[in-house]
Amino acid sequence: MTRRYWNINLEEMLEAGVHFGHGTRKWNPKMASYISAKRKGIHITNLTRTARFLSEACDLVFDAASRGKQFLIVGTKNKAADSVAWAAIKARCHCVNKKWLGGMLTNWSTTETRLHKFRDLRMEQKTGRLNRLPKRDAAMFKRQLSRLQTYLGGIKYMTGLPDIVIIIDQHEEYTALRECITLGIPTICLIDTNCDPDLADISIPANDDAISSIRLILNKLVFAICEGRSSYIRNP
Amino acid sequence: MILSNPPLHFSLPPSITMAAASATSTTSLSATFSSLSIHHHRRRKPPSLLPTPNSRPHFSPLLSHKLLPPPKSTPEAETTIYENEEDAMMMSIFSPPERPEDFVPPPSFDDGPMESEEEIARAYEELYGPAYSGETLLGNDVFVMDSKVKKVTGLGSSRNKDKKVRDGFEERVVQVRRVTKVVKGGKQLHFRAVVVVGDKQGNVGVGVGKAKEVVAAVQKSAVNARRNIITVPMTKYKTFPHRSEADYGAARVMLRPASPGTGVIAGGAVRIVLELAGVENALGKQLGSNNALNNARATVVAVQQMRQFSEVAEQRGIPMEELWK
Repeated sequence: MTRRYWNINLEEMLEAGVHFGHGTRKWNPKMASYISAKRKGIHITNLTRTARFLSEACDLVFDAASRGKQFLIVGTKNKAADSVAWAAIKARCHCVNKKWLGGMLTNWSTTETRLHKFRDLRMEQKTGRLNRLPKRDAAMFKRQLSRLQTYLGGIKYMTGLPDIVIIIDQHEEYTALRECITLGIPTICLIDTNCDPDLADISIPANDDAISSIRLILNKLVFAICEGRSSYIRNP
Repeated sequence: MILSNPPLHFSLPPSITMAAASATSTTSLSATFSSLSIHHHRRRKPPSLLPTPNSRPHFSPLLSHKLLPPPKSTPEAETTIYENEEDAMMMSIFSPPERPEDFVPPPSFDDGPMESEEEIARAYEELYGPAYSGETLLGNDVFVMDSKVKKVTGLGSSRNKDKKVRDGFEERVVQVRRVTKVVKGGKQLHFRAVVVVGDKQGNVGVGVGKAKEVVAAVQKSAVNARRNIITVPMTKYKTFPHRSEADYGAARVMLRPASPGTGVIAGGAVRIVLELAGVENALGKQLGSNNALNNARATVVAVQQMRQFSEVAEQRGIPMEELWK
């Protein structure tokens, strides 16, 4: 794997508050090697480890993007939802920012049916057929459309299972992580001090509560994806 | 006390070393050294000492040995106390590449100019094709995904014919049972089918499926069986390499190889599994319960435990002749 320079700046991370963990009582002892100190009842993660893992993750993502793989970013915390959406749009990846429906990947055939319905509804909306129906039906269709848009809007361009999944908070997206594990999809996960680092393939110990820290890490990954994509476009 | 980590070069001038976990030291060049006994800095460059940790509020370190080489690959690497290891080796283990001169930090993802919906859609469509978006800007066919998904079907007949011949696996139903769930309104009946799927070349799988109709149950169990397929180690005379016993639940199965011409001598579920695996000569006995599903699973487990002679010889590093003594 080629190793590139990703502009990972320890002071930037300190400013963003990447090193803060959760409270001391809620820790997962498996994270012991990533925690460097305890301060006022909060664990502090070891930033050099974080930087290392982040650069490895960026390398992996860059490599995958330069081979034309598909990515999925999962982040449903309401704090992080918009940044996830922005990041996915910027990097041209799929994303899930509202609730992760159970079985989205393992039950892909059913998800595909929903996507079909979504597409058909949009077509009907575009051709204007919705206006000719009686008000009640039109209202029902509009409601369905808005529901599908919130839940499936980010993955409407997905044709099959993604190749790499990036998960923002392991605690919150446990179902998503489990699905990826059963399907054998490699995952990159943001781990906090109360999470299990062995579940994901590359786990980046960081703070998942602060928006700034999530944005910082997403920035780096998105940059890596963009670089990989541009090199893929240049020579496929 | 905060302990310093081995120096890593990021975007700072090389003379300053960084330490993590100094939350309040947001002023840029902060490095805190504590116990100078485990004191790692690049020997070629002078260290620079900055405010000591004494001024900090109560610090209770969780782990006392924190000087660790960064883990090589996986997060599960053992932590060891790191003393006097060569800096050169350290650098070869992990050194982030140097910053190229003309590197411009990219803008954050929402700083750049807002893209209009169309531009976003166009970019996506270039990458992935129109997929399910329902709008196409590049002239691609919007309904392209329909042909890729199997039709969910019109009336039953056309679909059933497709299902018969598929991907080279033969299915055989071991058992179909009618099972009942008692609810307030009465009894709810379902059918549970156990199906074994195999080509006769050494791949078999056992699956269960439940449905309200027998046919649907058989189909579900076939799908399930295709998901857990194992390979059977076979010799050139189509028999096992050695004896094996295994149990699953209360069912215990003993399998034994036989000389060519014997055929499969086993009962019920065990026989079906072995036949569909392509094993032609074997002896098998159900020693525990007679439950078909559990016996089928037990034979699968028993077969998974078997090893070929060549594998074992390789693993143990001895020639195969030794194994036959």
